[in-house]
Amino acid sequence: MEARPAFSIERSGAKQLSSMGMSGALSSSLPVHPTPIEETYSKIPDSQQAFVEKERLARPLTHSSHLNSSGAVGHMFSSSPGYSTDLHHSSLSPHGKHSRNPHFISQSSSNMVSLPLSYSSSSGPLPSTTSSCYSKESNGSWDADSMPNILDFPVNTSIKDSQVESSACNIMAPDEDGKKNDWQEWADQLINDDDALTSNWNDILVDPSIHDLEPKVSCQTSKSSLPGQQPQGHQQLSASSGEKHGSAPPSSSANSAPAKPRMRWTPELHEAFVEAVTKLGGSERATPKGVLRLMKVESLTIYHVKSHLQKYRTARYRPESSEGSSEKKLTPIEEMSSLDLKTGIELTEALRLQMEVQKRLHEQLEIQRNLQLRIEEQGRYLQMMFEQQCKSGVEKFKAASSAIEDPSGVSSDAIKDSSAKTEVDVSQVNHSKSGTEPDNNSNAQVEANSLKVVENDNAPESQTSDNPKQGASEDYVNAPPSKRQRTDE
Amino acid sequence: MKFGKRLKKQIMESLPEWRDKFLSYKELKKLVRLISAAPSLPAGVREYGKAEAEFVYLLNNEIDKFNNFFMEQEEDFVIRHEALEEKMKEVRERWGPSGSEASETKYGEEMAKIRKDMVDFHGEMVLLVNYSSVNYTGLAKILKKYDKRTGGLLRLPFIQKVLEQPFYATDQISKLVKKCERMIDVVFPAAEEELAEKVKEARDAITVAGEGIFRNTVAALVTIQEIRAGSSTQSAFSLPPLNLSDSHLLHAIHLNPTIPTN
Repeated sequence: MEARPAFSIERSGAKQLSSMGMSGALSSSLPVHPTPIEETYSKIPDSQQAFVEKERLARPLTHSSHLNSSGAVGHMFSSSPGYSTDLHHSSLSPHGKHSRNPHFISQSSSNMVSLPLSYSSSSGPLPSTTSSCYSKESNGSWDADSMPNILDFPVNTSIKDSQVESSACNIMAPDEDGKKNDWQEWADQLINDDDALTSNWNDILVDPSIHDLEPKVSCQTSKSSLPGQQPQGHQQLSASSGEKHGSAPPSSSANSAPAKPRMRWTPELHEAFVEAVTKLGGSERATPKGVLRLMKVESLTIYHVKSHLQKYRTARYRPESSEGSSEKKLTPIEEMSSLDLKTGIELTEALRLQMEVQKRLHEQLEIQRNLQLRIEEQGRYLQMMFEQQCKSGVEKFKAASSAIEDPSGVSSDAIKDSSAKTEVDVSQVNHSKSGTEPDNNSNAQVEANSLKVVENDNAPESQTSDNPKQGASEDYVNAPPSKRQRTDE
Repeated sequence: MKFGKRLKKQIMESLPEWRDKFLSYKELKKLVRLISAAPSLPAGVREYGKAEAEFVYLLNNEIDKFNNFFMEQEEDFVIRHEALEEKMKEVRERWGPSGSEASETKYGEEMAKIRKDMVDFHGEMVLLVNYSSVNYTGLAKILKKYDKRTGGLLRLPFIQKVLEQPFYATDQISKLVKKCERMIDVVFPAAEEELAEKVKEARDAITVAGEGIFRNTVAALVTIQEIRAGSSTQSAFSLPPLNLSDSHLLHAIHLNPTIPTN
């Protein structure tokens, strides 16, 4: 097989690169040492293959099917730096026995093809992403803690992925035949595309530097492979969600910053604190260490206790003006100078007035907060409905066009109309909601309407034969008008 | 009035040490303008990505700021609440009717002080809740602006994250507020019905000066009312107008113009 030598070179090239934590751009121009590597590979037991397969399956990456399939090859596409080191070993297995390999490599190659394409939708294949990765290497602002956050954001990434996957599929289509050819073509593509990349590869391939780069590179590449980390050529959503994770939400930044993790002091925690302090003989006598020991709270550090003790002491020391710094606050007397407030009773009344206003403000703030929460919840819910609607709309079209002969025109039109109607209704619901009173009734109504949308979707989908379908579509047509009436009320 | 101006007004009418802890709305708005003005050519895509990253970075910084300030204040409030309770007990035990050094005058004096402290404490806590609300509103608005100007989809997921932040979780403070109200009810003598009448009588006479808590509270209420009075961009995500049952109470209270303290 003439393909074989080229193939083996590329594989060992891949091997070399993958041993550095880089799977990817291979060119036959890269310096390789096929013989020694091949020897080591042949020593790898069969279990490695199984290991690889298991790795791939076991990887609980939720946010992309592409990522899941990348497990086998993707030390590069791992979701954590540690993972890539594992796969260094697993990547050895493809280069073991030939008989096993074609299967594996074809899978891996198809993965390789799809992966870079999915993560750099506008900027060609792998090279550009990795080169930018290298250029960012020096910045090194990557916070490993925020990696898990990516997984917290399935909503986001799924939205992005659905868009991206379609583009990836389009690109993949022509490459489906000839698995070995894929690998070669892809490698050629990489060679031709980016000169900068090959220079990078050359730098890396200098032997002494390989081991140095290994951990760094694996980190960096995993970073580059994640959707949000590429500012170039990505949908805004992915970039923004990635960047948000990159900068780390406050809760995780609290963990990563060594100096000042913020503790949330609750009344109960404070009670325990006071108890400990009294046991130790009062705020003046008690020491932070002692208090910490007595309190026996897991996440509490001595730093927390120290600062809290300080505040406690200040509060106790000046109990009269213990309300923060009294200078900043004027008494009600000064505030209401035009009233004659000499007598204590009137002072009390002034205070009462102040209380009333404060209570009112608090009440309004609570109401406002509940509203805000509910509105956002609704927004999220409606978005989900909308997406479901879009998806099921597509499926319905397919079902309608394929299954039905006679009432085909009617039912597909009905379905079209009803999906349009439900969309209109959704927006109508939005408008009506903004005009109504903020009470439970209207919100429940909105939810009921949204639910109705879902039910209407599901009914026609479950029908397969003609008559029920027609019946369902009739229901569908009838339902929206009645729904509309309700929203108009 | 635009939100930016209202926010500024609110900030000016807040407690001095709080003023720099509010949302940097203007900064963020400038950034949004910058981003939307950047050309969306292929060459500009990298720039766009950078600008968006900067925007999100700023937002996260703001959120960190809110969280830190909020939690610090919360801690203070927890301490002060307990301190007030203790003080109340002490005063009662010492100068109260059945106390060790029972003295009506002294008791009255101390109680008056405590009442005043409690009311101010209550007010400050409510102002913190207001702080949280104002900042949330600002964030929501700037995100909406961002999406509108840049055609992005940042708002919905980001706002979801914001809702989970400590500074937005005002439940604990609200509980403290309620506890404080109960404490105050205990400490204050009865006779409530005359208050509304007195207010009506003193309608034109009440002028609230200075930078005190009472003033700030009133300002906050007024601001909320104005913000929610309806805007040109009312949408499904907008809050309905404020519904204050006794708004005459508010109208009775005039605010002296603030003297900027820069």
